[in-house]
Amino acid sequence: MAATKPAHPDAMAPRTAGPTRTAAPMQPASWKTSPRMKAYARFGMTGWVYLIASISAIVIVWALGSGPEAYEQMQGVLAKPLVILFHVIALISVGFVLIRFFGLFPKAQPARIGPAKPPPEPVLKVMLYAAWAGITVALSVILAGGIF
Amino acid sequence: MSQGHPLLKLEPLIWFLFGQGIMIGSMLMTGWLLVVCILNPLGMLPPEALGYERAQALGSSLVGRVVLLGILVLPVWKAAHHIRHFFIDRGHAEKDGLIGGTSYTVATLLSIFAVVAVVRL
Repeated sequence: MAATKPAHPDAMAPRTAGPTRTAAPMQPASWKTSPRMKAYARFGMTGWVYLIASISAIVIVWALGSGPEAYEQMQGVLAKPLVILFHVIALISVGFVLIRFFGLFPKAQPARIGPAKPPPEPVLKVMLYAAWAGITVALSVILAGGIF
Repeated sequence: MSQGHPLLKLEPLIWFLFGQGIMIGSMLMTGWLLVVCILNPLGMLPPEALGYERAQALGSSLVGRVVLLGILVLPVWKAAHHIRHFFIDRGHAEKDGLIGGTSYTVATLLSIFAVVAVVRL
Protein backbone atom coordinates (compact mmCIF):
# COMPACT_ATOMS: atom_id res chain seq x y z
CA MET A 1 0.00 0.00 0.00
CA ALA A 2 1.55 3.33 -1.08
CA ALA A 3 2.10 5.89 1.66
CA THR A 4 1.60 9.60 0.99
CA LYS A 5 2.61 11.52 4.08
CA PRO A 6 3.24 11.04 7.76
CA ALA A 7 0.12 10.33 9.80
CA HIS A 8 -0.82 12.41 12.84
CA PRO A 9 2.53 13.42 14.36
CA ASP A 10 1.45 12.29 17.84
CA ALA A 11 0.05 8.97 16.65
CA MET A 12 1.63 6.11 18.56
CA ALA A 13 4.25 8.44 20.05
CA PRO A 14 5.54 7.29 23.45
CA ARG A 15 5.28 9.74 26.34
CA THR A 16 9.08 9.88 26.57
CA ALA A 17 11.54 9.06 23.86
CA GLY A 18 12.85 5.52 24.24
CA PRO A 19 16.26 4.13 23.34
CA THR A 20 14.88 2.54 20.18
CA ARG A 21 14.08 4.84 17.28
CA THR A 22 10.86 3.76 15.57
CA ALA A 23 9.70 4.67 12.09
CA ALA A 24 7.04 7.40 11.93
CA PRO A 25 3.55 6.03 11.14
CA MET A 26 2.51 6.71 7.53
CA GLN A 27 -0.93 7.15 6.01
CA PRO A 28 -1.82 4.92 3.07
CA ALA A 29 -2.60 6.88 -0.12
CA SER A 30 -6.09 5.39 -0.31
CA TRP A 31 -7.17 6.40 3.19
CA LYS A 32 -9.76 8.97 2.11
CA THR A 33 -11.73 6.48 0.04
CA SER A 34 -11.59 3.50 2.39
CA PRO A 35 -15.10 2.38 3.45
CA ARG A 36 -14.37 3.04 7.11
CA MET A 37 -13.24 6.62 6.43
CA LYS A 38 -16.29 7.24 4.24
CA ALA A 39 -18.51 6.08 7.10
CA TYR A 40 -16.66 8.41 9.53
CA ALA A 41 -17.03 11.28 7.04
CA ARG A 42 -20.79 10.69 6.65
CA PHE A 43 -21.21 10.59 10.43
CA GLY A 44 -19.07 13.73 10.81
CA MET A 45 -20.92 15.59 8.06
CA THR A 46 -24.16 15.29 10.02
CA GLY A 47 -22.55 17.87 12.30
CA TRP A 48 -23.07 20.53 9.62
CA VAL A 49 -26.72 19.53 9.22
CA TYR A 50 -27.24 19.60 12.98
CA LEU A 51 -25.61 23.04 13.18
CA ILE A 52 -28.01 24.54 10.61
CA ALA A 53 -31.01 22.70 12.10
CA SER A 54 -30.10 24.01 15.56
CA ILE A 55 -29.78 27.58 14.28
CA SER A 56 -33.16 27.14 12.57
CA ALA A 57 -34.72 25.94 15.86
CA ILE A 58 -33.22 28.86 17.80
CA VAL A 59 -34.57 31.34 15.21
CA ILE A 60 -38.05 29.76 15.39
CA VAL A 61 -38.16 30.03 19.21
CA TRP A 62 -36.72 33.54 19.06
CA ALA A 63 -39.50 34.54 16.64
CA LEU A 64 -42.09 32.97 18.96
CA GLY A 65 -40.77 35.13 21.80
CA SER A 66 -40.90 38.24 19.59
CA GLY A 67 -44.67 38.21 19.19
CA PRO A 68 -47.40 37.07 16.78
CA GLU A 69 -46.18 39.03 13.76
CA ALA A 70 -42.62 37.67 13.91
CA TYR A 71 -44.01 34.17 14.48
CA GLU A 72 -46.29 34.42 11.43
CA GLN A 73 -43.39 35.65 9.31
CA MET A 74 -41.35 32.67 10.50
CA GLN A 75 -44.16 30.31 9.46
CA GLY A 76 -43.91 31.80 5.98
CA VAL A 77 -40.14 31.13 5.86
CA LEU A 78 -40.63 27.55 7.10
CA ALA A 79 -43.11 26.90 4.28
CA LYS A 80 -40.56 27.71 1.53
CA PRO A 81 -39.74 24.55 -0.49
CA LEU A 82 -35.97 24.76 0.04
CA VAL A 83 -36.43 25.17 3.79
CA ILE A 84 -38.75 22.15 3.91
CA LEU A 85 -36.26 20.17 1.81
CA PHE A 86 -33.46 21.03 4.23
CA HIS A 87 -35.57 19.93 7.19
CA VAL A 88 -36.35 16.62 5.45
CA ILE A 89 -32.59 16.11 5.00
CA ALA A 90 -32.11 17.03 8.66
CA LEU A 91 -34.72 14.46 9.70
CA ILE A 92 -32.94 11.77 7.64
CA SER A 93 -29.63 12.81 9.25
CA VAL A 94 -31.12 12.52 12.73
CA GLY A 95 -32.33 9.00 11.89
CA PHE A 96 -28.92 8.06 10.47
CA VAL A 97 -27.12 9.38 13.56
CA LEU A 98 -29.40 7.60 16.03
CA ILE A 99 -29.33 4.27 14.18
CA ARG A 100 -25.52 4.39 14.04
CA PHE A 101 -25.34 5.52 17.67
CA PHE A 102 -27.67 2.75 18.83
CA GLY A 103 -25.37 0.28 17.09
CA LEU A 104 -22.32 1.67 18.92
CA PHE A 105 -23.88 2.32 22.34
CA PRO A 106 -24.17 -1.30 23.56
CA LYS A 107 -20.57 -2.01 22.53
CA ALA A 108 -19.32 0.98 24.57
CA GLN A 109 -20.85 -0.18 27.84
CA PRO A 110 -18.53 -1.18 30.71
CA ALA A 111 -18.60 -4.86 31.67
CA ARG A 112 -20.10 -3.87 35.03
CA ILE A 113 -20.67 -0.77 37.14
CA GLY A 114 -20.24 -1.84 40.76
CA PRO A 115 -22.58 -4.78 41.28
CA ALA A 116 -24.71 -3.99 38.20
CA LYS A 117 -24.15 -5.47 34.76
CA PRO A 118 -25.60 -3.84 31.63
CA PRO A 119 -28.43 -5.77 29.98
CA PRO A 120 -27.61 -7.96 26.96
CA GLU A 121 -26.99 -6.08 23.70
CA PRO A 122 -30.33 -6.96 22.04
CA VAL A 123 -32.26 -5.86 25.13
CA LEU A 124 -30.32 -2.61 25.31
CA LYS A 125 -31.02 -1.92 21.63
CA VAL A 126 -34.74 -2.58 22.06
CA MET A 127 -34.77 -0.16 25.03
CA LEU A 128 -33.03 2.54 23.00
CA TYR A 129 -35.36 2.19 20.00
CA ALA A 130 -38.40 2.10 22.32
CA ALA A 131 -37.24 5.32 24.01
CA TRP A 132 -36.75 7.01 20.62
CA ALA A 133 -40.17 5.90 19.38
CA GLY A 134 -41.87 6.87 22.65
CA ILE A 135 -40.31 10.34 22.82
CA THR A 136 -41.00 10.99 19.13
CA VAL A 137 -44.64 9.89 19.29
CA ALA A 138 -45.31 11.80 22.54
CA LEU A 139 -43.67 15.02 21.32
CA SER A 140 -45.29 14.78 17.89
CA VAL A 141 -48.77 14.23 19.32
CA ILE A 142 -48.36 17.15 21.74
CA LEU A 143 -46.99 19.52 19.08
CA ALA A 144 -49.66 18.48 16.58
CA GLY A 145 -52.38 19.35 19.07
CA GLY A 146 -53.45 15.78 19.83
CA ILE A 147 -53.19 16.34 23.58
CA PHE A 148 -52.81 19.44 25.82
CA MET B 1 -2.32 19.08 20.73
CA SER B 2 -0.18 19.34 23.89
CA GLN B 3 -1.19 17.56 27.08
CA GLY B 4 -2.00 20.82 28.87
CA HIS B 5 -4.22 22.23 26.10
CA PRO B 6 -7.51 23.72 27.45
CA LEU B 7 -9.55 21.55 25.06
CA LEU B 8 -8.11 18.42 26.69
CA LYS B 9 -9.01 19.75 30.14
CA LEU B 10 -12.58 20.43 28.95
CA GLU B 11 -12.84 17.04 27.23
CA PRO B 12 -15.10 15.41 29.91
CA LEU B 13 -17.60 18.29 29.70
CA ILE B 14 -17.45 18.40 25.89
CA TRP B 15 -17.98 14.64 25.62
CA PHE B 16 -20.89 14.81 28.08
CA LEU B 17 -22.63 17.52 26.01
CA PHE B 18 -21.78 15.70 22.76
CA GLY B 19 -23.20 12.42 24.07
CA GLN B 20 -26.38 14.07 25.30
CA GLY B 21 -26.61 15.94 21.99
CA ILE B 22 -26.52 12.69 20.06
CA MET B 23 -28.93 10.79 22.30
CA ILE B 24 -31.35 13.20 23.99
CA GLY B 25 -30.98 15.99 21.42
CA SER B 26 -31.55 13.70 18.43
CA MET B 27 -34.52 11.94 20.06
CA LEU B 28 -36.17 15.30 20.75
CA MET B 29 -35.27 16.72 17.34
CA THR B 30 -37.06 13.90 15.52
CA GLY B 31 -40.53 15.01 16.63
CA TRP B 32 -39.62 18.70 16.38
CA LEU B 33 -38.40 18.43 12.77
CA LEU B 34 -41.28 16.20 11.76
CA VAL B 35 -44.09 18.36 13.15
CA VAL B 36 -42.78 21.95 13.41
CA CYS B 37 -40.52 22.00 10.35
CA ILE B 38 -42.21 19.59 7.90
CA LEU B 39 -45.85 18.66 8.62
CA ASN B 40 -46.98 22.10 9.81
CA PRO B 41 -45.38 24.07 6.93
CA LEU B 42 -46.91 21.58 4.49
CA GLY B 43 -50.33 22.41 5.93
CA MET B 44 -50.92 18.88 7.20
CA LEU B 45 -51.95 20.01 10.69
CA PRO B 46 -54.96 22.02 11.88
CA PRO B 47 -54.00 25.74 11.83
CA GLU B 48 -54.61 26.12 15.56
CA ALA B 49 -52.19 23.26 16.46
CA LEU B 50 -49.11 25.45 16.22
CA GLY B 51 -50.87 28.81 16.16
CA TYR B 52 -49.15 31.59 18.09
CA GLU B 53 -51.19 31.33 21.27
CA ARG B 54 -50.92 27.56 21.64
CA ALA B 55 -47.21 27.53 20.69
CA GLN B 56 -46.53 30.30 23.21
CA ALA B 57 -48.45 28.45 25.93
CA LEU B 58 -46.63 25.17 25.23
CA GLY B 59 -43.20 26.77 25.00
CA SER B 60 -43.50 28.97 28.07
CA SER B 61 -44.58 26.19 30.44
CA LEU B 62 -41.86 24.74 32.69
CA VAL B 63 -41.80 21.38 30.88
CA GLY B 64 -41.95 23.17 27.53
CA ARG B 65 -38.92 25.30 28.39
CA VAL B 66 -36.90 22.26 29.49
CA VAL B 67 -37.79 20.36 26.30
CA LEU B 68 -36.99 23.41 24.16
CA LEU B 69 -33.59 23.77 25.85
CA GLY B 70 -32.92 20.12 25.00
CA ILE B 71 -33.87 20.70 21.37
CA LEU B 72 -31.97 23.98 21.02
CA VAL B 73 -28.79 23.49 23.06
CA LEU B 74 -27.80 19.79 22.98
CA PRO B 75 -27.67 19.31 19.17
CA VAL B 76 -25.40 22.37 18.92
CA TRP B 77 -22.74 20.49 20.94
CA LYS B 78 -23.23 17.35 18.90
CA ALA B 79 -22.69 19.51 15.80
CA ALA B 80 -19.57 21.23 17.19
CA HIS B 81 -17.87 18.00 18.21
CA HIS B 82 -18.70 16.21 14.97
CA ILE B 83 -17.52 19.15 12.84
CA ARG B 84 -14.23 19.11 14.77
CA HIS B 85 -13.83 15.38 14.21
CA PHE B 86 -14.87 15.69 10.57
CA PHE B 87 -11.82 17.91 10.02
CA ILE B 88 -9.57 15.54 11.96
CA ASP B 89 -10.84 12.60 9.87
CA ARG B 90 -10.17 14.51 6.64
CA GLY B 91 -6.52 15.02 7.58
CA HIS B 92 -6.46 18.37 9.40
CA ALA B 93 -5.40 17.11 12.82
CA GLU B 94 -2.58 19.65 12.98
CA LYS B 95 -5.20 22.46 13.08
CA ASP B 96 -7.27 20.74 15.77
CA GLY B 97 -6.66 23.44 18.38
CA LEU B 98 -7.99 26.15 16.05
CA ILE B 99 -10.89 24.12 14.64
CA GLY B 100 -11.91 22.69 18.03
CA GLY B 101 -11.64 26.08 19.71
CA THR B 102 -13.74 27.74 17.00
CA SER B 103 -16.35 24.97 17.02
CA TYR B 104 -16.86 25.09 20.78
CA THR B 105 -16.85 28.90 20.85
CA VAL B 106 -19.66 28.92 18.26
CA ALA B 107 -21.47 26.22 20.27
CA THR B 108 -21.15 28.30 23.44
CA LEU B 109 -22.49 31.43 21.72
CA LEU B 110 -25.41 29.53 20.16
CA SER B 111 -26.18 27.94 23.54
CA ILE B 112 -26.36 31.42 25.09
CA PHE B 113 -28.69 32.59 22.30
CA ALA B 114 -30.80 29.46 22.83
CA VAL B 115 -31.12 30.03 26.58
CA VAL B 116 -32.08 33.68 26.00
CA ALA B 117 -34.63 32.63 23.34
CA VAL B 118 -36.26 30.20 25.77
CA VAL B 119 -36.15 32.57 28.76
CA ARG B 120 -37.86 35.42 26.83
CA LEU B 121 -40.86 33.25 25.89
